[in-house]
Amino acid sequence: MAAVVAPSFEEYAGGTVARAQVGLWRDGFRRLRRNRLALAALIYLAVLLLVAVVAVFWTPYNPATILPNVLTYLGPSAAHPLGTDELGRDLLSRMMQGAQISLIVGVGTSAIVLTVGVTVGLVAGYFRGWIDNVISVFINVFYGIPGILVAIILYLVLGRGLGNIMIAISATAWMDMARLVRGQAFSIREREYIEAARASGAKSGKILFGHILPNALGPIIVQATFVIPIAILTEAFLSYLGLGIPEPLASWGSIASEGYAALPLEPYMMLWPALALSITLLAFNFLGDGLRDAFDPRQRR
Amino acid sequence: MFTRGTLLYIAQRLVLILFTLIAVSFLVFITVHSLPGDAFESDRVHGQALQLLLHEYGLDRPILVQYWSFLVNAVQGNLGVSFQVRGLPITPLVMRELSVSAELGGTALLITIGLGTTFGVLAAMRQNSWVDYTLTSIAVIGYSVPSFVLAGLGVLIFSYFLPNLTNGVISYPAIWSGTYGTLAELSLPAIILGFYTSGQVTRITRAAMLEVLQQDYIRTARAKGLKSRVVTIRHALRNALIPVISILGPLVISIITGSVIIENIFGIPGLGKEFVESILAADYNVTVAVFTVYALLIGVANLVVDLLYTVVDPRIRY
Repeated sequence: MAAVVAPSFEEYAGGTVARAQVGLWRDGFRRLRRNRLALAALIYLAVLLLVAVVAVFWTPYNPATILPNVLTYLGPSAAHPLGTDELGRDLLSRMMQGAQISLIVGVGTSAIVLTVGVTVGLVAGYFRGWIDNVISVFINVFYGIPGILVAIILYLVLGRGLGNIMIAISATAWMDMARLVRGQAFSIREREYIEAARASGAKSGKILFGHILPNALGPIIVQATFVIPIAILTEAFLSYLGLGIPEPLASWGSIASEGYAALPLEPYMMLWPALALSITLLAFNFLGDGLRDAFDPRQRR
Repeated sequence: MFTRGTLLYIAQRLVLILFTLIAVSFLVFITVHSLPGDAFESDRVHGQALQLLLHEYGLDRPILVQYWSFLVNAVQGNLGVSFQVRGLPITPLVMRELSVSAELGGTALLITIGLGTTFGVLAAMRQNSWVDYTLTSIAVIGYSVPSFVLAGLGVLIFSYFLPNLTNGVISYPAIWSGTYGTLAELSLPAIILGFYTSGQVTRITRAAMLEVLQQDYIRTARAKGLKSRVVTIRHALRNALIPVISILGPLVISIITGSVIIENIFGIPGLGKEFVESILAADYNVTVAVFTVYALLIGVANLVVDLLYTVVDPRIRY
């Protein structure tokens, strides 16, 4: 189909533009690469993801099986690199499953928070008026209520399971995201390019998700990254209290709790989940800091 | 001391707190009452005996009626009775547990602020040196290592490897003698709880200090020959502490969250332990009471912080 080809920017400008345009992602990642801590964190998390994916298909032993003829509370050995637990289950297999659970809960919660928080925040910040009032009053009323307490109650009401734990943690976590996005939408909607889009007849949905959202993406990505360690920590917290992922599924929190119970007998059992949780949370925090510097330079502290 | 505008602001905030308390207690009330099972399940009472028991505690009434009577009593300072320990009045129980939690949380808050501001100032004074890197790393580790991990390791080290160092005060499993414990028993949980939140204070103090140190009045103070220590403490630190006060509210929330787990690990009879125990025992009234007290605590803490702000920084007015 022969169509009229719009002249390119170069032609308008009457020559080649000095610097090639770099998109948000490429620009951000270029800056992220220079941050060694964030890069190390990213590599660690990639390895962790690999372990979690491998655990879907293969673990040294079945993590839930009580192995026959195996002693309980074994220390590290060739057959069981991390030892065995109180029922004689292989701890390496259980730790691999724990990595899976932690990543699913972390990323899943972040996805729920993104969906709900961004939508609510955009609507409140863009439309203002009574919608904004209702949402803002709601968020102000519940601001500061500890998420862990809400998560405990909600999780018990919803029933135990991987999906419900993510919903229970999201129940309070979406509000911070909504506040952030609302503020962004509030200031971006006053910019000239939004006025131009509205003048050229763009519908609200197109303006919200096509113009405002892309321009607020930096802080949103940073916030979504920080939700992941919070969710992982909360899940481990709940599992540690015995209110988390149901047995026989292994979570780092529940292994830590069983390890604490066995502390004088087998100190290693507490050590593995302690290390795994600490390093993973550290990595997500470093990555979040790195992303903030890379994507959101104004917020740098 | 307060202007008319400030008083109006306080009144508005108190109304918001009241509104929050009603909303939170209502939602928690409805939610915990929809939990499967009832408070007397473990007592194995059935049939007519159960009906009588439910009637005695008013649990056979419609849920909204139950909430209304809770609200009317709560306004008068009566938070109802426990189901688990039949008929035990909750208000004195919760007040006692609140004082225990306040003992732990208050000590932790002091440790957090002391440790965090000291580290933050030291890191800022020696920016980009090994001191700076070490202290900022400790700060990140502080809020990345879960408090229950630190607690577990702490108990392991002091009860298993170094029992002589502490004269066997820290035992495994950790217990708390008496309601308020001893100073030695308080120290480990308070330090762990305080260390966890101190990282945030270190970061904020360091950033604020770096910014203040670049200001003109610091250069003036130096130029007129004041000692470096005087400049740091009297001129820089005072202004650098303002942002620290702004995170006191979130800090109190972090400490409350952390205390839930720390109290359970160390066997401290505070609100956090009661919260988990009551919800597992389906002792609804206690759960609702503890939750409401937490919400009140946080609301008041945030208000006090905002007022403290105006005292420290006269430029801020409401």
